[in-house]
Amino acid sequence: MSDDRGAHGGVTAGHYYGHGLPYLSIDNYPGRIIAIEGTDGIGRSTQIRLLREWLEVRGYGVIETGWTRSPLMQPTIEIAKSSNTLNKLTFTLLYACDFADRLEKEIIPALKAGFIVLADRYIFTAIARAGVRGIDREWIRHLYGFAIAPHLTFYLKIDADALARRVLERGGMDYWESGMDMKAGDDIYENFRAYQRQLLKEYASMADEFAFRMLDAKKSVNAIQDELRRQIGEFLDSDSPGRM
Amino acid sequence: MFVTEWNSSALVKAATKTGKKKNALTPMTFSLLHATDFADRLLYKIIPPLKAGMIVLADRYTYTAFSRDVSRGVDKQWVRDLYSFAVQPDLAVYFRVPIEVSLDRLMARRVKLKFYEAGMDMGWSTNPVESFRLFQSKVLGEYDDLVNEFGLSVIDATGSITDQQRVFRDMVSRAIESTGKETKS
Repeated sequence: MSDDRGAHGGVTAGHYYGHGLPYLSIDNYPGRIIAIEGTDGIGRSTQIRLLREWLEVRGYGVIETGWTRSPLMQPTIEIAKSSNTLNKLTFTLLYACDFADRLEKEIIPALKAGFIVLADRYIFTAIARAGVRGIDREWIRHLYGFAIAPHLTFYLKIDADALARRVLERGGMDYWESGMDMKAGDDIYENFRAYQRQLLKEYASMADEFAFRMLDAKKSVNAIQDELRRQIGEFLDSDSPGRM
Repeated sequence: MFVTEWNSSALVKAATKTGKKKNALTPMTFSLLHATDFADRLLYKIIPPLKAGMIVLADRYTYTAFSRDVSRGVDKQWVRDLYSFAVQPDLAVYFRVPIEVSLDRLMARRVKLKFYEAGMDMGWSTNPVESFRLFQSKVLGEYDDLVNEFGLSVIDATGSITDQQRVFRDMVSRAIESTGKETKS
């Protein structure tokens, strides 16, 4: 790699991490990006739904964007996941393509219009998963150099054992969440714990780099929501976002 | 010997097709989809035959992305970093042809210019031929830079097929001799 313009920390919120999209200037866009990160089954969607209601009542325009939800890529990702041809490199690139589609079609237009973008996972999930699968960490940060640094990133933190119980209560462990593609063996419970432990370690190692605000995911839904609202409220009050 | 073509992997076919049909691709998604296609073919179609000692003939390689994506406005360094997982070819040949010759050939065959091939997504001209001329001129300019940057071997593609093939075979023979690799066909 000839320079370091990838998705590293130290970038001003609302700016591209690296080379960005040279054909698309985002200077002085009034919107804000708030990312909620955390591993599978941690309760992100519930928190985002509650946040959205609260923000809308306060008069903000809000859009949600979520992992693998781009109309362009969703069918392909589904097909790829159900077949056996996906490997860590194509996996990583398909996710990047999904993110790029949502960035240009959803996130940037919303920022321009002064909306608050609530991101149900951002690029950090991709970076963590790729890291665990042995993709070069520097390479993936360069890849996501076209992403925009969020204004706030919350990370819902949990340990692998508590997570395992929660996911089982919710209905069971799935193939990908258990890292079964990493072919460690047939014991899905052990694989889930081992994979999620690695994933949590990877997220933890990214906390400083990407200025994660840590939240204890073992607390009640309401306690977590209160904390999110307190921190987001403080940020918005001190900021001059595009209140609608 | 094994042949692999640009944009031919089954994995990303659905997305590329949807995107191209609806003209829904941005320069970035266009770039990433083609990189995914390349990665898929690299792992399934390029590396295994290489390991088996075969010669892989690649009908276009990463240079197509370097010239095309950068012409669309994607960052030059970013796209090079993106493809850093690619295997460096033992020989890379660039068939160079001036834009007018390339247009004349397409017109003579009454080929309908494709939306993305003509760079219509850039909105530089609503006339497909004019758009093709503008966009592909930029692409050719990028290729000229790539010749020096990556040491591409250039073949003058304005000549007859027979002449080009003679030069091409000569280049390939020399490359095979100099790498001294065992080959199977």
